[in-house]
Amino acid sequence: MDFSEAAERISRKFSQKGTEVDPKKIEGKLRRLVNEFGVQPSEAERSVTNELAKEFNLPAMGTGGSGKSSGAAESKKIADVTPGDWVTIEGKVVALSTPASPAIAQSGIIADDSGGIRFVAWAKSNAPAMTKGSYYRIESAVVDEFKGVANLKIHSGTVVKECVNDGALIPSTVPIASLHPGVCSVRAKVIQEWDSSHERMLQSGLLGDETGTIKFVIWKEAGKEKLAVDSVYTIFYAQVDEFNSRLSLNLNTAEIMPEEGDILVSGGSLSVRGAIVHIAPGSGIIKRCPVEGCNRALSRQNYCPVHEIQPKFIYDLRIKGWLDDGIKTHNVLLQRDVVESLTGITLEAAQEIAENNPLGMDEVFLRMRDAILGRYIICHGREIDNRLLVNACERLTYESGEHTALLNRSGSAS
Amino acid sequence: MSPNPRDPGRKDGVFEREPARRVFAAELRECRYQFKEGEDEKSPTFVLIPTGERCNRIFLVGTLTEKQRQGDQNIFYRGRVVDSSGTFFVMAGSYQPEAMQQLAKIDTPAFVAVVGKPNLYQTPDGAFLVSVRIESITVVDKATRDLWVLDTAARTLDRIDAFKASTAPDVIKAKEQYPAIDVAVFRKIAYDALAQIKI
Repeated sequence: MDFSEAAERISRKFSQKGTEVDPKKIEGKLRRLVNEFGVQPSEAERSVTNELAKEFNLPAMGTGGSGKSSGAAESKKIADVTPGDWVTIEGKVVALSTPASPAIAQSGIIADDSGGIRFVAWAKSNAPAMTKGSYYRIESAVVDEFKGVANLKIHSGTVVKECVNDGALIPSTVPIASLHPGVCSVRAKVIQEWDSSHERMLQSGLLGDETGTIKFVIWKEAGKEKLAVDSVYTIFYAQVDEFNSRLSLNLNTAEIMPEEGDILVSGGSLSVRGAIVHIAPGSGIIKRCPVEGCNRALSRQNYCPVHEIQPKFIYDLRIKGWLDDGIKTHNVLLQRDVVESLTGITLEAAQEIAENNPLGMDEVFLRMRDAILGRYIICHGREIDNRLLVNACERLTYESGEHTALLNRSGSAS
Repeated sequence: MSPNPRDPGRKDGVFEREPARRVFAAELRECRYQFKEGEDEKSPTFVLIPTGERCNRIFLVGTLTEKQRQGDQNIFYRGRVVDSSGTFFVMAGSYQPEAMQQLAKIDTPAFVAVVGKPNLYQTPDGAFLVSVRIESITVVDKATRDLWVLDTAARTLDRIDAFKASTAPDVIKAKEQYPAIDVAVFRKIAYDALAQIKI
């Protein structure tokens, strides 16, 4: 952070009240709070101001109100700001979102031609309300990090001024494969719509472009509409969140425009050949929750994490395992029809084994393991979240052509 | 303050399973160098094979020719799995109960597929021994054995071809650790393994 600028600002505030405080001394205090005690810069500024006010017997002045100048700060491009910075930026408010807490007066996204950033204006900051579509100069705001995403904090020391519109702002879209947490724009096709897992959720699913796919979410809010599956959209200023190292797009802040044309989605479609090196617990015959739209796997005691005991479960087959080509190991998930064709054990046969064998469902697991562990197979499917969902697979067979080629290769340069 | 979420350390959330390398017995036997990645107790251990690849796990298919139960208090099984170039020494102890039960059930001789972790030991008289701690062992057919030979030959040739010019850290380390080994011998081993499969 820029300590001297904040110190100047505090010092000016006191000189207006007729008290001179050495900016060097203020700077020292700020530096100590921020560097040694890990205090947020805005909080440090507040507490130093209050401490000095007490010292000089002045009424608590907070940090707001006075910040008239501080024109010294160079304004920065939004793409260049990093958490911990104390910045001045100029940009257009491209989205406003409903504040999550009464402590927040306004939140949304502000953008310039280099990119966008989320901002939060604290209720205590007394900042003027900004309107969507207008340009503002925001002086001495603090960039911090919230849920792994850079966030511009408008606090009581920040000066917000409306400024002249300097023309149209057209964000550039980013390929899905190169998205990173923050605010991004994409052009993508809706390739899947998922059952919504939460009552506040309007829609969730998968967006894809030529480079990859990403999960998206739209939360219920006035004026929000669902996207149509198989349609292409240009999405400006969506929020890219990171959770458990996975990215997802929150479209509530975004400007969404339907587009003509189609995108050939890469979809992570993939074929892997290798050996099955591990079959995970939970493979074989499993019981699923019969509640409409649930379908979760039940525990041994027929317990569904959401719907509790379900004696009228439905049987299913699946294999979770690792397919290894010697270079990389792929987490694979095989569904019922694939399991049946690969192991030669149908669901009916598996159910028969499970119900009439002393080992029950374990017996199915063991038989399937003995049938496929250590075997070479080729799996075709889609890779989502580092897991290959297998649509089809077959056992590899010996190819004499491959054999001859390898013989030639090993025999030649020796 | 919370640590920066973009620290490499937090990426631990994404679990990357160590791949099972393909290596002939004759090459694995030459290993003399084992190292650990990171300081942690749970950090993976790797055996460096002479063609310049680190192995935390290997996948092998061969003939189980012998197995032996050992120990009274702590029962464990040793076995010998043979490929065309030599012998893999495999073992499963009470810490691998499933693997031990699998091995106990198999009658020799049989084609087996083994996934396991190689470990380098030095005997009191100074000889080196690589033993493979079994994670799983299953009986397979000859077709699977043949596929493994093709697969392992291809991977071995890939490593040899990359060896000379490669600047990969593991290749450089292999050149340091195994100065007396000419990797061309493994080309011959691959050829011999392939030649044993009848066309």
